[in-house]
Amino acid sequence: MAGIKFTSNFVGNIEKQGITFDDKTGDIPISRSFKHKGNNPFLRQVLFAILLGVACAMPVMAAQIQLPAIVEPASQEHHVGKLIFVELVTPDIAVAKKFYAGLFGWTFRDIQAGGTKYAEAFLDGRPVAGLIHKDVPASEHRQPAWLSFFAVGDVDAVKKVALQKGAKMLFEPHTIPDRGREAVFADPQGAVFAVLASSNGDPPDVLAAPGEWIWISLITSDPETNAAFYQTLFDYEVFELPASEGAQHLLLASDNYARASVNTLPANRPNAHPHWLNYVRVEDTVKMTAKVVALGGRVLVEPRIDRHGGKVAVVADPFGAPFGLLEWPDTESKEVPK
Amino acid sequence: MNILILRWLRWLALAFVLCTLTALLSGCILPPGGGYGYDDGGGYGAAYYEPFGFDYGGWGHGYQVAPFRGGDHRSTGGGGHASGRAYRSTPASHSMPSIPSRSRSGGSRSH
Repeated sequence: MAGIKFTSNFVGNIEKQGITFDDKTGDIPISRSFKHKGNNPFLRQVLFAILLGVACAMPVMAAQIQLPAIVEPASQEHHVGKLIFVELVTPDIAVAKKFYAGLFGWTFRDIQAGGTKYAEAFLDGRPVAGLIHKDVPASEHRQPAWLSFFAVGDVDAVKKVALQKGAKMLFEPHTIPDRGREAVFADPQGAVFAVLASSNGDPPDVLAAPGEWIWISLITSDPETNAAFYQTLFDYEVFELPASEGAQHLLLASDNYARASVNTLPANRPNAHPHWLNYVRVEDTVKMTAKVVALGGRVLVEPRIDRHGGKVAVVADPFGAPFGLLEWPDTESKEVPK
Repeated sequence: MNILILRWLRWLALAFVLCTLTALLSGCILPPGGGYGYDDGGGYGAAYYEPFGFDYGGWGHGYQVAPFRGGDHRSTGGGGHASGRAYRSTPASHSMPSIPSRSRSGGSRSH
């Protein structure tokens, strides 16, 4: 072993601290490596180790992710239970950006923090979504998804109630500078959702523009139990809607606005699992589904007339993350479901 | 000399433990996500992959997901607290709301 070569300055400084070196070998003799000058060498070691430990941890702490606010400029609005943001995890952020830019005209701003590649998506200068790069877990049968964030006032209080009511904690409450405090759960039926107490307030209750998120539905094995769960969390009003035989359709509302629907998972899909599905407002669902395919995505549910008189469709991006397309005409004219 | 290296290694080991503890306490190392593909260390914890199971189709006739437009379209028989549901039903006197209709630039609010 070559040994450690100490410079004369270093040796001098060390010797000032009471450590002497063997003149011939440059080693510190075991028997007199530390000469006591009123200090406890063990304490010095501990102090040194603490300093070293803190120094090592600083870069890790400094790399904590910092994400922009979801509302710019800050609003004074708070709408508990409202879908206020969505995030996509994807294995190739460049391909995802190209797809969503081509489909909805979103633009992106890249953010690199904490070892995570993150792109914030905008429509007409307003934040609409976040895209997160993450490699697909090896040997795991998983697929990308859009994660829905619901507005809350107190994330930790929601955590307490959610866990009491059978939810599973997936990501503990944590504060992200500028963004707010958030947490991720799986509800008692397994659908994944997030809550966010936004630092800058919530987006205003206005009609979504084409290319913005307009609606969300929970497709679940037990609509009643799920509705009760989310009612406890967000104090929703629950309305019952007509549904086909063997199915349930509930509507969740807050602030006198419809916020989400709850639907029964189709019985003939035994492999489907409960999940939240987010819808983007479009002007022409048929044209947009064709565009999805042209951009490398897939159509999962062909365009069909829904109860509001417009068409809906479900599509997936090139990596399989599903989302809905929903027409919401500006005019009051509507077609009748057949 | 070997003893000196051992001493340094001991310091480094202690420093490593302290470093890990500090990072854990600062919340930078995140707990695993219960099988949902959540980060188990270092990254942004909200990044996740869901288990496969987005099995669409089977949306037969009458399977509807969208909100109503305009006024009250309450189904008959809904509402009230005596329905035996797991949730609290909204009283029948409450009209069913729609999504916000006010445009970003202003305008009227209708439910």
